[in-house]
Amino acid sequence: MTKYIRKEQIEKLQQQFPGILYDAEQAKPAIYVKPEELLAVLRYAKEQVSFSFDRLSNLTAVDYKDYFEMVYHLFSRRYFTWLTVKVKLENHEAPEIASVTSLWAGANFEEREVYDLMGVNFTDHPDLRRILMPDNYGGHPLRKDFEPLVPKIEGGVLTWQKQNHIS
Amino acid sequence: MAKTEPYILNMGPQHPSTHGVLQVQLELDGERILGAKPVMGYLHRGIEKLMESRTYTQCVPYTDRLDYVSSMNNNLGFCETVEELAGIEVPERAEYIRVIVAELNRIASHLIFIGTLMIDLGAATGMIYAFRDREKILDLFNIICGARMTFHYIRIGGVCADAQPEFIAETEKFLEYVPKMLEEYDHLMTGNEIFYHRLKGTSPLTREDVLRYSMSGPNVRASGVDYDIRKIDSYSIYDRFDFNVPLGTNGDNWDRYQVRFHVHGAAAGDELHCLAGGFHRVLCGQHCLYPAGHQAHSGLFHHQSAGLYDAGSGGRLSDRFHVPSHDPCVFQGAAVPLCRCCDACDE
Repeated sequence: MTKYIRKEQIEKLQQQFPGILYDAEQAKPAIYVKPEELLAVLRYAKEQVSFSFDRLSNLTAVDYKDYFEMVYHLFSRRYFTWLTVKVKLENHEAPEIASVTSLWAGANFEEREVYDLMGVNFTDHPDLRRILMPDNYGGHPLRKDFEPLVPKIEGGVLTWQKQNHIS
Repeated sequence: MAKTEPYILNMGPQHPSTHGVLQVQLELDGERILGAKPVMGYLHRGIEKLMESRTYTQCVPYTDRLDYVSSMNNNLGFCETVEELAGIEVPERAEYIRVIVAELNRIASHLIFIGTLMIDLGAATGMIYAFRDREKILDLFNIICGARMTFHYIRIGGVCADAQPEFIAETEKFLEYVPKMLEEYDHLMTGNEIFYHRLKGTSPLTREDVLRYSMSGPNVRASGVDYDIRKIDSYSIYDRFDFNVPLGTNGDNWDRYQVRFHVHGAAAGDELHCLAGGFHRVLCGQHCLYPAGHQAHSGLFHHQSAGLYDAGSGGRLSDRFHVPSHDPCVFQGAAVPLCRCCDACDE
């Protein structure tokens, strides 16, 4: 039976990285990590035997209109515990975060998806290209302010253009 | 020996053995695969975006279509996530029915795997056998919810209607048939020499590979990693059942086939327990306002476990709903470049 990581464990993590924040009132609190500390925290959680979060179960992002939030779900196969790690990306225009592909190679496609659909830039990613939308697409569909583009052939080339709204 | 040099071959997006639309850029040296690069997005339907503007209840039919050969499992994953978020308790009888239909759907889905695997190897007859037996499960679903695909049967708070006595009787009949079915397949496929040599030793994945790539389901277990989300997370009422998790050792295509093959037996065992258990009343989908918050949930999807993630802003709408990938295979897809022929198939 799996469980969420205990609060004492989170406190231990907090001693190592004082920048970590969490809501102690919640039953399953996510830990908030500073963007510049993300890789160090994840590496520590993965490699320290007392945590052993060796599995990256999920990686995604949420658009809160003023800021983005990266979400990482970690799982420890040794202790059967879960941990949710979140990172707030304040720059809504050009969000950027370090890639975790050096820790989990499988994050490659998930980060490409977040880049494609949310427009988050992952530094040190081995192959950061669009994964679902066409290569020459102009927007990021899962952003809240997204407006769908329409396909148009111009000079034999498929382009994506803004819709002309009929007012 | 003839001199050869590597070349690139585009396989798909329209190719009979991609079973959908997937392009794989293969780097070949003669018939030997040196590298494989998957290109996705040909069937990007934007379901996550659609779900942002619909109520939770309205979202359930979309989950049917995430992977339409295992709709019940998708329904279950979504509904459990929302129930966890909103603190909705599901009646015991509904939990049993959910496990029964989800495991039946798992068998149906693995039958598609076996059938299409056969047809990819040129054995069209094998496909007919698997689809014949899948048909029996679709008939059961037809009884319980009136649909043969995209069931929309599992709802938030329970299931849409109680299981009829007819369904239970027919399911029992089918479960009696499962061992016979497995034996027939064993004779037809497992012992087939061509089949064996095409699978044995090809595309082996090590334990380290599958962990690095966050893979799950039969693909992990074929490499000998004991990771079954039904066991370790025991969502729904899976902790009440005692079932075997088949494991492989070499992580090659042969082990991946064997692991999926034996899952049938385990799933059928589950249902026997379920039918033997007592059930009570069923509750239909609830209409209510959901609290703000976030919720992650892991459930077993088609051929792998997948988490669902929901960040709700309160009210009836989800702010962001994330299915890791549109077919829960993004993590697995990233591992495709690892699949190469090894020396065994050079012979």
